[in-house]
Amino acid sequence: MDNVIALTASGIASGAVLAIAALGFLVLHNATGVVNFAHGDLITLGAYLGVWATTDLGLPVLPGYLLALLVMAAVGLLIERTAFAPLRKKPLIVVVIATLAAATVIRGLIAVWQGSTPKTLPSPAGDGALRIAGATIAHQRLLIVAVAAVAVVALLLLFGRTSFGRQVRALATDPDTARLQGVRTKAIGMAAFVISSVLAGLAGLLVAPLGAVDLNLGFGLMITAFAAAVLGGFGSLTGVVLGALAIGLIEQLVGGLLFPSYSTMLAPIVLFLVIVFRPQGLVNVTRSRL
Amino acid sequence: MSTVQIDPEAPAVQPAPRPPLWFLRPQPHDRRRHLLAIAAFVVVVALAGPAIGGTSRANQFLVNLWMMYSVAAIGFYWIFGLAGRFAFCQTFMMAFGGYLSAWVTREGYPFIAGIGVAMATTAVAAGIVGTLVRKAQHFYFAIATFAVTQVGIIVFARADGFTGPNGQTVGIGAPELFGYVFRRDAEVFWLFLGVLAACLVVGALIERSPMRREAISARDNFTVAHLAGVRANRVHIVLFMLGSALGGLSGAMIGHWQGVMGSDSFGIDLTIGLFLILLLGGSDSLWGPVIGSAVFVALPKLLSDIERFGSIVYGVLLLAVVLALPNGIAESVRRLLQRVSSKGAGDAAG
Repeated sequence: MDNVIALTASGIASGAVLAIAALGFLVLHNATGVVNFAHGDLITLGAYLGVWATTDLGLPVLPGYLLALLVMAAVGLLIERTAFAPLRKKPLIVVVIATLAAATVIRGLIAVWQGSTPKTLPSPAGDGALRIAGATIAHQRLLIVAVAAVAVVALLLLFGRTSFGRQVRALATDPDTARLQGVRTKAIGMAAFVISSVLAGLAGLLVAPLGAVDLNLGFGLMITAFAAAVLGGFGSLTGVVLGALAIGLIEQLVGGLLFPSYSTMLAPIVLFLVIVFRPQGLVNVTRSRL
Repeated sequence: MSTVQIDPEAPAVQPAPRPPLWFLRPQPHDRRRHLLAIAAFVVVVALAGPAIGGTSRANQFLVNLWMMYSVAAIGFYWIFGLAGRFAFCQTFMMAFGGYLSAWVTREGYPFIAGIGVAMATTAVAAGIVGTLVRKAQHFYFAIATFAVTQVGIIVFARADGFTGPNGQTVGIGAPELFGYVFRRDAEVFWLFLGVLAACLVVGALIERSPMRREAISARDNFTVAHLAGVRANRVHIVLFMLGSALGGLSGAMIGHWQGVMGSDSFGIDLTIGLFLILLLGGSDSLWGPVIGSAVFVALPKLLSDIERFGSIVYGVLLLAVVLALPNGIAESVRRLLQRVSSKGAGDAAG
């Protein structure tokens, strides 16, 4: 029983991180139409920036994390300016390939900058753990759930209640009409890249203290986040959050209890099956996107 | 009674004079021209390959690798260039083909059987995947094939009985045909040249076939092509199968040549590399993959002084290619020749 509780808590925390990662590329996809294959490497970069700020610069954990997120915002802007803006009028496939190029460059830069030796990132929640019915739940996992909840609520407010959110939703629903109505696509695109990068960095910062920080940290998370986004219908915030939680719980509970050696396979399998049998996702939102 | 007078000496129609540099002017697809070009290519490589490879073992390695990457890239050209399917699983097919062929020969069957099984199985696997996700377009297809690759990599790493401990198969037998064993890299060169030539010939036949036209029409406008009677899904699946079979062939050949097989050699870097090869060479020409592979293989040698920055250079190059040469080297050369020949014709007329 304690194992089930621990795995459930782990699944919820995993789902929370996935939700942040998946929302990152959902925002970008809906604002620009681009699926960003550099998202995984942005997650990795966020974790490494945390290591740099807290270990190399010696900043306290929270200011270090904030600095990392600020740098991530600048990186997002840089990617938009170098790998997206010059290709705005090119076919979408070319833009996607440019995101692959950006992924390669980011990974290469991290390898040159930090080397390939795994690093550790301190957690703001410390190394403590909570015991519930015999199960041990790390404080970091509770922090992840809390931060993810705040981030999701903030995004819901941003996209539901602000002018920026309405413009993004208009672009996601009908880009051409939105442009004709005066939606500022360039500014929205830049903002979407910044928000997406910050969310990727946040996901990296949250997940890194649970294990080692290495070059592959974000790649696996990106694939699982893809699965969550597709499962959630690739259109609605709520759908993606539910999809992320479902994937996190499936990975931890089904994988942890039944197939411990193959638990990392479950997300790609779910992703493939959803595309085959229900490509519109399990949560189909046709009236309102985001 | 009237008679029709026939002029016994009607003036013969004079053929239009050929403009200067007419042979540089791009011609419509012609199977014989393609085959002649392939023959010329084989002769040039047969002369230049041993000369380059003879200078050092490293160079011979690169020449051989270029030919096998070209084979995989031709397959990818059919999938991505012609069918427009954004597939992330070509390197998975390479690894799958390599493991399959190694396994078949380990069971005591000959090399050629291993190659046949590798090609057939990868084609069938692609057929199954392609059929299952036939309705998935663009990113969904990309993500689905991405998922297949991830599952494959995990299975390869864990299925010790098939792939060896940690996905490393060692001691794979050297290629052998009709009792002749290709042991040295210089010997393998001739085998690879034959394989590449055969793939190019098949490619030339496809270039002139209705399948190419149907694939391109379906790629450019699926709905219109479908309404016009093109069996778009079928054409895409067939090209996906053929392209994946070449991936399997390439992986199997590399495995037998190197004697070892590891899925980490066919990871995301090579996947991105295949995109780079096709974009660099040109995704609208059969020669694009061959040219792109040559650049891709030669780059690490040219950039050996900045080896640490290899992946950064690849990424920047990919971005630069997308921006500066959106049609690739092959198409840029074709346009340049067209401009030169048009200018020559203009000068002659003036």
